[in-house]
Amino acid sequence: MNVNFDIQEKQAQPTKPPKPVIKTKDLDFAYGDSQALFNISMDIFKKEVTAFIGPSGCGKSTLLRCFNRMNDLINSANIKKGTIRISDIDIYNKDVDVIELRKHVGMVFQKSNPFPKSIYENIAYGMRIQGVKKRSELDETVESSLRGAALWDEVKDRLNKSALGLSGGQQQRLCIARTLAVKPKIILMDEPCSALDPVATAKVEELIHKLKKNYTIVVVTHNMQQAARVSDRTAFFYLGRLVEYETTEQIFMNPKNSKTEAYVSGRFG
Amino acid sequence: MESDNQQQRAHIFSRRFSLNKFLEISTTFVLRFFTYLIIVLAGYLFWDIAYKGSKVIFISEAPFINVQFLTEKPQTLHVFEPVDIDSQLKAAKADILSKSIQRKALSNSNIEEANAYTLAIKELNEEIKLLDIQRKERRLLFSDSEFRNLSETPSDDDYVYNTYAYSGGGIGPAIIGTTLLVFGSILIALTLGVLCAIYLSEYSRPGKVLQSIRLSILNLSGVPSIVFGLFGFGLFVLYLDWGVSLIAGWFTLALMALPVIITASEESMRAIPKGFREGSLALGATKWTCIRTNVLPYAMPGILTSSIMGIARVAGETAPIMFTAAFALRDRLPWEGLEQSTDFFFQGVMALPYHIYVVSSKIPQNEYTQSMQYGTAFVFLLIVGMFALSSIILRVKVRKKYDW
Amino acid sequence: MKRYFHKELTELENKLILLGEKSHQVVQLAVEGLIENNLDKVNEAYKMDDYVDVLEMEISHACIRYMSLRGPVSSDLRLLVVALKASKDFERIADEAHSIAQKSYRLLTTEGSLKNTLNLSEMGKLVCELVNDSISCFVKEDIDKAFLILKRDHEIDAINQKHFDILSNEAFRDEMSDAARFDLMLISKSIERIGDHAKNIAGGVIFLLNGDQ
Ligand SMILES: Nc1ncnc2c1ncn2[C@@H]1O[C@H](COP(=O)(O)OP(=O)(O)OP(=O)(O)O)[C@@H](O)[C@H]1O
Ligand SMILES: [Mg+2]
Repeated sequence: MNVNFDIQEKQAQPTKPPKPVIKTKDLDFAYGDSQALFNISMDIFKKEVTAFIGPSGCGKSTLLRCFNRMNDLINSANIKKGTIRISDIDIYNKDVDVIELRKHVGMVFQKSNPFPKSIYENIAYGMRIQGVKKRSELDETVESSLRGAALWDEVKDRLNKSALGLSGGQQQRLCIARTLAVKPKIILMDEPCSALDPVATAKVEELIHKLKKNYTIVVVTHNMQQAARVSDRTAFFYLGRLVEYETTEQIFMNPKNSKTEAYVSGRFG
Repeated sequence: MESDNQQQRAHIFSRRFSLNKFLEISTTFVLRFFTYLIIVLAGYLFWDIAYKGSKVIFISEAPFINVQFLTEKPQTLHVFEPVDIDSQLKAAKADILSKSIQRKALSNSNIEEANAYTLAIKELNEEIKLLDIQRKERRLLFSDSEFRNLSETPSDDDYVYNTYAYSGGGIGPAIIGTTLLVFGSILIALTLGVLCAIYLSEYSRPGKVLQSIRLSILNLSGVPSIVFGLFGFGLFVLYLDWGVSLIAGWFTLALMALPVIITASEESMRAIPKGFREGSLALGATKWTCIRTNVLPYAMPGILTSSIMGIARVAGETAPIMFTAAFALRDRLPWEGLEQSTDFFFQGVMALPYHIYVVSSKIPQNEYTQSMQYGTAFVFLLIVGMFALSSIILRVKVRKKYDW
Repeated sequence: MKRYFHKELTELENKLILLGEKSHQVVQLAVEGLIENNLDKVNEAYKMDDYVDVLEMEISHACIRYMSLRGPVSSDLRLLVVALKASKDFERIADEAHSIAQKSYRLLTTEGSLKNTLNLSEMGKLVCELVNDSISCFVKEDIDKAFLILKRDHEIDAINQKHFDILSNEAFRDEMSDAARFDLMLISKSIERIGDHAKNIAGGVIFLLNGDQ
């Protein structure tokens, strides 16, 4: 029996101070007349997984979609007050090109939405619209993205088959791979596992854990266990307000706010 | 005994009569009856046209298809009927006429005599039938060209000579004209309609303005076709001075097909799941890229369906082309005798629906025009069917390619 | 499929084993120090207890963290419960060993060497073995060995009972001071308690392996 590690040494490891990449400050957001977010201020840290939890309709998706300006698509949506800065640039400034922003901040949707094209074309899509034509470059990125999304081994023999033939979990990982292919720095995921079975969910979670090394990830989830498993920090939202934002350990083991406590322990409402 | 009782005893699921059930059954019956009635009527209509038309189109000899009818220009029919039979027929007909007048004059008083007249008329009718068969066997039919090529015309002593306009030759130019009209106008309508639909479904902001635009487009489809005809006549033929021409017809017909195409295309574009758009926008696509790569291809089946509806609306119309594009008779094919290539667009053409209209309302009716009418109608049906079929096939193909 | 956080369970297991080894070491040092009249060993045992306490706290924190964040069920959950209990037992074992060391120190410094009237050396050896076995049956997932521990604990109880009889015997009173006799009694009692804890750990292992209480 040999146990080869030393506790003292582990404890001595210095924890690097995390670096914020998305800084939201005093954000008020409204759909037309109905305000959806109230005074949100939070920093999201680099190369961490941040989970958004909260009951339905509390504005998690809304905030997430603010980060890559997906809300621009909704006519009535507007920011009333406050700023969102990514890498210290106000993303709602006039001189910000939304296209560039979205390349930098990728998004994976709740309902996996592979295009009805081949698997290969799905991944290559992002590069094709950027004008990449060289076959070798496309091939390379397709492979590396699929490997990155832990899907390569499952689909390498049928890259030219329709992506719709994949299982739900594979489709969701395909969408993640598609996002990876445009080389973002931040990945937003809106309930990426809501339609998946536990095995597929586990695979996506593994993937998130793996991606954490290179990407900053924000994930919205209704599955408290999932938030606890994958995230480093957790934000609890309620009725458009940020109630508590702490390390995941803190939120799940010893939340400060009684609402958070009730929500994470399933005693809400 | 025991089991008998049990069988008869009503249980909770046993059948019971109720007014609702009676209503249910009778409603079903009424609905079924009217549906079948409509089907029967439509079936009769098609069968009638197909039966009478195929007599003209199909022949018993070698190619089995009346190539002449399909390819030749409309011509005057020259008919020579045998004098003897003609006079006999005339005599018999006059006889019938006088006899029936006499019988009427008898009134009810003399039943026996009246019966005798009726019998005589019947006999005469039989005779006429026989004579008619003979006449059909022995008569000589020539179209213009054949007539001109005859070395000698049949002598007036043996034959009675008559000419019937539009009843000879074929409908070749009309087939070509209709094909050109339908093809061109659908091309124009699809282009304009899809552009408009893209704007409406993707770019425009929802609101009062958009609503009223939609409403007016919808109303446009309810405008009577003759109004389109007059509009086209005023705008294209007179104001733009295109004359009665193919291009004026194209635009007039395109205007007519537009509402259907816009509405259906917009609908099919809006049916594309939001996820496709969001997915591609989130990857950094511009709006137009997103539409081009991720909306239009998948909306294609719907757009093609709309073009089928457009064709159905456009191809059958007489009124819009009456003043704008159609000639009653034109013996040149569209590509014959052009001085410069643009002339192609600025010439009138013949068209099947207008041809039917002309032969059935502009000239005296007789047995020879009837075959022309039915033949044309049948060919017309086939052509419209073919257009629709080809877009259906195209749609199925596209559907297969982009299935979700 | 093994999930990334299953590594934490392995780490926890390793830590628990480490804790076992450490408490075993404390017991061994204390008992050997007493029997061999070796003050160095006794001192060392006396000092090691703190380290064991830290380990125990770490383990229980890790268990609770895992339970609240990972949602463990079935064998994972049993492992956590057993780890929680066993770490407590190990900590108690080290505590008892600590008090043995404390009393040994006093005995050895006041009385000099120990007379061999008591069967402490056999008892000590037995209890060291038990503690060691309780660790190894956990490591090797050996349920038979665990059941054996349950039985062998009785031997220690018997010896302890004998010691009690001897020490309360009138004849023995003259041989040493009352304080020394009390210390010896407590030492014997402590060893017996260590055996009990080892037994508890074995019970935990049985629960872990076949799921029965
Ligand atoms: N397009 C929209 N137009 C108007 N209101 C909207 C729109 N989208 C969301 N809302 C409103 O904004 C609020 C927040 O919605 P949001 O989608 O962010 O909730 P959520 O936390 O993501 O909920 P869920 O967990 O159910 O996805 C809700 O009250 C919702 O009704
Ligand atoms: Mg949501």
